[in-house]
Amino acid sequence: SPLSPQTRAARVRVGKGDKLVTYERAHAPHHIGHRKGWLSLHTGNLCGEAGAAQRALEDTFLRRFLYGTFPGLLADEVVLKRRGNLLVICALLGRALPPPKLYFLVGYAETLLSHFYKCPVRLELQTVPARVPYKYL
Amino acid sequence: SLMGARLAGSHVDTQEPKTNPLVSISDEPETLYKRLSILVKGHDKAVLDSYEYFAVLAAKELGISVEKVDKPPKTIERFTLLKSVHIYKKHRVQYEMRTHYMCLELKYLTSSTAAVYLEYVQRNLPEGVAMEVKKTKIEKIPEHIRKPVWDTLPKVEEAEVKS
Repeated sequence: SPLSPQTRAARVRVGKGDKLVTYERAHAPHHIGHRKGWLSLHTGNLCGEAGAAQRALEDTFLRRFLYGTFPGLLADEVVLKRRGNLLVICALLGRALPPPKLYFLVGYAETLLSHFYKCPVRLELQTVPARVPYKYL
Repeated sequence: SLMGARLAGSHVDTQEPKTNPLVSISDEPETLYKRLSILVKGHDKAVLDSYEYFAVLAAKELGISVEKVDKPPKTIERFTLLKSVHIYKKHRVQYEMRTHYMCLELKYLTSSTAAVYLEYVQRNLPEGVAMEVKKTKIEKIPEHIRKPVWDTLPKVEEAEVKS
């Protein structure tokens, strides 16, 4: 069967109007750099720099790990920043869990990830009452 | 008794020189740098612009003269891949990675000034931005090149030249 003429990568298809879509998910990947920012910031993809594949693997693992540690709480995609050896994870969470449990999860994630990747890991959280809608598709 | 109590905590009589443990003084002559060239690479032009403002401001505050701020053109690395896993050779996907550059050239620095400036500027390097530093040293001419060679050789007698 022939391929469909439209690309379907990272695009949310139009539906009945009840699906909440955040700013990040509403824009297609060709808007990166123009209307969107980057989700993971590292020097691996620059001209003359090495380590792109390792960073990509680490990013995928970190996103899955955080999706599992904070079940149902992530309001938007996680932003990963690498400054030298330090890995800063900026996440946006909902307010379903009480703060003591959140603090435990933060400490657990930080120590586990720093022992796993052998580098200092810092988790910076912000809680939001609900997902911020940009469109309803 | 009141006067004694007031002077007890103060250091009026002690004459210790105030030495900052972070500052080291050495008698070696400092190496001089004619030019310090900092090339900064990044994906986002806005980040590089703000970093340029920050670096130029830091140089001005420290009294370092900025020779020029050059912005070489961006390099785009593009590749074309097959869109589908199995067949459909006619349908491809194209990706590109853009690298923007910004070159900052500072002139006439000492090694300690260069060390301080570079440490400050590198500690505040934003994420996703890479930096390369090139230093041009000034050295004194070595002893064996100071005078031209033909002055040091013994003079050849003119009688030998006549054939």
